[in-house]
Amino acid sequence: MVAQILAVVIFAVMFALIVWDKIERHIVTLGCGLLTLALVFGLAMRDGGAVWETLNIGSIFTPGFWYSAGINWSTILFIAGMMVMVEGMARAGFFQWLCMNLARLVHYKPVPLFVTFMLISAFLSMFIDSITVILFLAAVTVELGKLLKIDPVPMILSEIFCANLGGSATMCGDPPNIIIGTSLGYSFWDFLSNTGVMVAISLVLVVFYFYFIFRKELADAAGGFTPENLPDPKSAIRNRRDFAVSSVIFACAVVLLVTHAQTGLTVAFIGMAIALVTLLASGRHMLFLLQRVDYKTLLFFVGLFVVVSGLEQTGVLEIVAGFIGNVSGGNLRLMVAIIIWLSAVASAFIDNIPFAATMLPVIRSLAAVQGIDPATLAWALSMGTDIGGSATPIGASANVVGLSVAAKNGHFIGWGRYCKVSAPATVIVVAVSMLFMFVRYC
Amino acid sequence: MDKQVIVSISREFCSGGHQIGEAVAKALGMGFCDRNMLDEIAQRKNIRIEYLEKYDEKPRNLLLSRRVGAFSNSIEDIIAEMQFEYLRDRAASGESFVVVGRCADSVLRGRKCLIPVFVMGDEEDKIAEACRRYNISREEAAAKMRRHDRARKQYHNRYSEGKWGDSRCYDLCINSSRLGIEQTAVLLTEYIRQRAARF
Repeated sequence: MVAQILAVVIFAVMFALIVWDKIERHIVTLGCGLLTLALVFGLAMRDGGAVWETLNIGSIFTPGFWYSAGINWSTILFIAGMMVMVEGMARAGFFQWLCMNLARLVHYKPVPLFVTFMLISAFLSMFIDSITVILFLAAVTVELGKLLKIDPVPMILSEIFCANLGGSATMCGDPPNIIIGTSLGYSFWDFLSNTGVMVAISLVLVVFYFYFIFRKELADAAGGFTPENLPDPKSAIRNRRDFAVSSVIFACAVVLLVTHAQTGLTVAFIGMAIALVTLLASGRHMLFLLQRVDYKTLLFFVGLFVVVSGLEQTGVLEIVAGFIGNVSGGNLRLMVAIIIWLSAVASAFIDNIPFAATMLPVIRSLAAVQGIDPATLAWALSMGTDIGGSATPIGASANVVGLSVAAKNGHFIGWGRYCKVSAPATVIVVAVSMLFMFVRYC
Repeated sequence: MDKQVIVSISREFCSGGHQIGEAVAKALGMGFCDRNMLDEIAQRKNIRIEYLEKYDEKPRNLLLSRRVGAFSNSIEDIIAEMQFEYLRDRAASGESFVVVGRCADSVLRGRKCLIPVFVMGDEEDKIAEACRRYNISREEAAAKMRRHDRARKQYHNRYSEGKWGDSRCYDLCINSSRLGIEQTAVLLTEYIRQRAARF
């Protein structure tokens, strides 16, 4: 009981400190992680085994290492690997080149540009973290907005939404999916054939929705266009060799991820291999790429997994799972509805990564107790956490980055304007996903 | 001034810090920087001035804002950063100026030419000044003073390592109630002259 109370208090303090945002969040999770090891496992439980299991180092050479409880090293290694690859692509000018080329392809016409950037945002986010996608896409959108004399805000809002939506389609698109996939042993294809289908349906609806919402702005934008001022997409390429190499590495990463169930390679291995190749190909820029890796985020994950382990090892999450089981009365539809909406609402206001990491043991326990396929609950958790974050400006990292890029260029988007557009779209996608799951899995 | 001098004035609400800053700038022939920097920022970045004014020197809403690395969704954070960038640019240009508020004591910290000053006042004097300036009752003035000072403190402490009003963060902390606004400005002007001579 004492251990459970301590675990809950540490978890609550961690969340409060993350929201308070005065102390860097990796320090918060690492500090709370240490407290979990010392107070929960050491003082209250006096269980050295729990510490060992949480640190998850003892089984490093066994297959179970990648799927067991505790620190999810697989997620951390994969994210680290992708960070290196993305830095290599960014340094070569890949993203600006792609965006500028697409804009030229649609002859800089506002409506096709609007739709194309939504689609490319969703597509890139399936393989690359949505922060990077939005960082480049929003910056190019602002530049195009200046040149074409169009308001970039409708495009940025729709790009942000599609980045979050695209990220939920695959195992590597969004951190909650990486955590879910590596913890439950799902493949890239498992995600694509389940959440991917929901995303495909939703994307069609979302494109129409955003077009309908912004039809007036898009109509007004037509005509103010000056092609002679527009830069050549090739000017975005900083180094032809680096560009070619990073494009090939990205293509290889996509192929390896899509086929990893067939090849038997884990995503952690793919991430590390891609990072290694990127570093070797970067030559003298190797150190630069390594310096650009966001180590703070990786440390944030390490601390987070330890704190969540505290809740898991003390049985707190089993109590939560039992509560959901009782409320739903064993009805799978009700369980799906509770998980997807609870995840969506929570992710709209708090970081979806700690939420997903916390809910994962809950759905695992719920599935075991109720005798249902954990995959169904996993897809509900994935869609809820990934999409729910789109509802508010603080729900997902991509939203914060997109709004910040817009504001730094003089386009301020407050809570009212953001939520008026994106909250209904979130409700639509969550509702469609829930109905899809009712039909397909329940 | 032959050498560059930057005077940052942090101030309590209605303590006369703004007027003192203006008087010092005038006496020393220096530029004066307060809300007027918003006009330049608005022009430079092609932003509507009303947006900047609405969020100027306002603390962010803790529950409605989030930071991801160097990015924040808080408009208050972004406008504050625009002002800090403006101050750094202006300081880098070699110009001497007096700046009121905007965490200048922290933003420009480390520059030898910076003289950070904190102006405070007796509560009764500040309330009387607020009553006169805004034509409001004593209770309203007291409430307004508390609200503004709380906001200034939150704003300052959000972007600064030192605490607002902590004497260790300033070269000089002065109570304007003792000598009055005019004489405080005279005293401060003389202090700055002597300091500048030692740069």
